[in-house]
Amino acid sequence: MTLNDKQSGSFRDPSGFLFFRDGLLYRQVNTYYKENYDFLIGSGLYDKLVKENLLIPHEEADPDYALSGQAYKVIKPDRVPFISYPYEWCFSQLKDAALTTLKIQKIALDYGMSLKDCSAYNIQFYNGKPVFIDTLSFEKYKEGEPWVAYRQFCQHFLAPLALMKYKDVRLNQLFRIYIDGVPLDLAASLLPFRTRFSFSLLSHIHIHAKSQKHYADKAVKPVHRQVKKFALLGLVDNLQTAVNKITWKAAGTEWGDYYQDTNYSSSAQRHKMEIIKTCIEKYKPRNVWDLGANNGFFSRIASDSDIPTIAFDIDPVAVELDYLECRQKKETQLLPLLLDLTNPSPGIGWKNKERMSFIERGPADMVMALALIHHLAISNNVPLINIAEFFHNTCKTLIIEFVPKNDSQVQRLLATREDIFPHYTQQDFEKNFSGYFDILESHSINESERTLYLLQRKAI
Amino acid sequence: MKYVIRFSPVFIFLLLLNTQNAYAYLDPGTGSYILQILIASLLGAAFAVKIFWQKITTSLKKIFSKNAGEQTNDPE
Repeated sequence: MTLNDKQSGSFRDPSGFLFFRDGLLYRQVNTYYKENYDFLIGSGLYDKLVKENLLIPHEEADPDYALSGQAYKVIKPDRVPFISYPYEWCFSQLKDAALTTLKIQKIALDYGMSLKDCSAYNIQFYNGKPVFIDTLSFEKYKEGEPWVAYRQFCQHFLAPLALMKYKDVRLNQLFRIYIDGVPLDLAASLLPFRTRFSFSLLSHIHIHAKSQKHYADKAVKPVHRQVKKFALLGLVDNLQTAVNKITWKAAGTEWGDYYQDTNYSSSAQRHKMEIIKTCIEKYKPRNVWDLGANNGFFSRIASDSDIPTIAFDIDPVAVELDYLECRQKKETQLLPLLLDLTNPSPGIGWKNKERMSFIERGPADMVMALALIHHLAISNNVPLINIAEFFHNTCKTLIIEFVPKNDSQVQRLLATREDIFPHYTQQDFEKNFSGYFDILESHSINESERTLYLLQRKAI
Repeated sequence: MKYVIRFSPVFIFLLLLNTQNAYAYLDPGTGSYILQILIASLLGAAFAVKIFWQKITTSLKKIFSKNAGEQTNDPE
C-alpha cells in the first residue's frame, strides 16, 4: 500500500482522508478526529442524518486497512457512482445543495455539533438527492464559538446563486477558476446595485466583502464577544431564507425548446427510441452517459431501466429543466449535468488533481451521442478521426447517430459559413470510427436521413 | 453605493467598540469573523421574533380550527 492510493483531492483535513484499496473506497479517521467521530456516532447525529438521507452512510472496516499510524478507525462509505462538481450543476442543483448544507447545520447544532467546512464539493448527488459526503466535517459545538464555515458558505453557495439569478446563470463557471468559491469582493462588484436592498445580500455579500477588505491588512485585536447558540441558529435561518428567496426561471436559450424545434417526425422519433431501447436491453450497460442529452428525453430510456445514467448538456436551461423533472418524478437513476464537450471539465486544484477531469471519471460502459456529431465536426471543426479517438477514451460501447450533410439541421449550421468539410460523409465516418471501434449494428432511422450505429471499443 | 458608504462608519465604529483583548490567530478570515459576530446577534433577535410569531399564529390557527370543528360538529 502506497501513498498513491490516497484519493488525490483528500489531503487538507488532518481529521482523515479517502483512499482506495482493491478498487474499494475507504476513509481513514485519524486519532486527531477521535473525539469528534465518537461524538458524531454517540450523539445519534450520524443516525439522524443518514435516516434523513442527508449524510452518506458508512460501515466501519478492518482497522488494519489503515494507511498510516495516525489512524483511529477505517470506515467504508457508500460509493457515489459519479462524482460531480458545482461547475457542472444547474441553478437548482446548487440551490438544493445549499439548502441541504444548511439543514444539516441546523440538525448538527441540535445535536451539539457544527459543520467545520461548507464546501460545495462536500455535496454529491446520490440516488437523485444531494447528500453530504464528508463524514469528518462535523466538530463538537463550543458555546459561544462563531460558525467557522460561514465565509465558505457565502463563497460556495450564496454568492454564486445570487450571481446566477441577478447577473447570468453561466456564472457558476467561476467555480472552475476559484476552487474555494466565488470571492465575495468579486461577487459584490458583479452584482447589480439593487441587490443592496436585500438585507441578506447586503449583509452576507456586500458588507461581508467590505469587512474582509477592511480587515485584510490590519493587525486586529480580536473580539471577546461570543455568538450565542440562538444567534447562530438565527444566522443559519437567515441564510436559509436568503437561499430560498433566490429563484431562477429556466427560459430563453437556443436549446431550451429543442424537442419542439427538431426536424424529426413523430414516427422517426419513435423508431429512434425503439432502436436505442433494443440496444440497451441487449447489451445491458452498467452505466450510461448521454452526451448532448438536452432535457434527458433519450437518457430516460436507460435510467427508466434502472441503469445509472448521466445526462450531460451544454445548456443551463436544458439541464435545469431535466433536473426539475428528475426531482418532480423522484428519479433516482438519472443525474443531469452541465458540460461543454468542446471544453470539458479539466482537472483543477492542487497539482491539477484535486478535482477530476471529465475524462478521468470515465470510461462509461455505454455512451450515447445522439444528434451530436455535426455540432462537434461542423460547429467546432473537430475532424472525425479526433471525435472517434475522444469516444474511444470515453466509453466501451457507443450508440452514435450520424447526421449527414443533407440533413436540415446540418444545413442550418452551414447556412452562414463556408463548407470546409468535404470529409464529413457517412463513408468517412465509418472509416474513421472503424479504426477505434467495431461496428456491431447500424440502423437507418425511418423518415430521416440519419443512421444510428452501435459500436464496440477496439483494444488498441 | 451611497447607502453602503453611509453605513460604513457606523459599522467600523461598532467593530471598534467590540474589540478588546488580543489573540494570536483569528479564523475564519478576520473580516468574516467580525461581521458574523455583529450580524448574528441581530439575526438571533429576528429569529426569536419569528419563532414567537410562529407560535402565536399556530395557537390562533388551532383555536380557530377547533371552533370551526365544534360548529360543524354541532348536530343542531
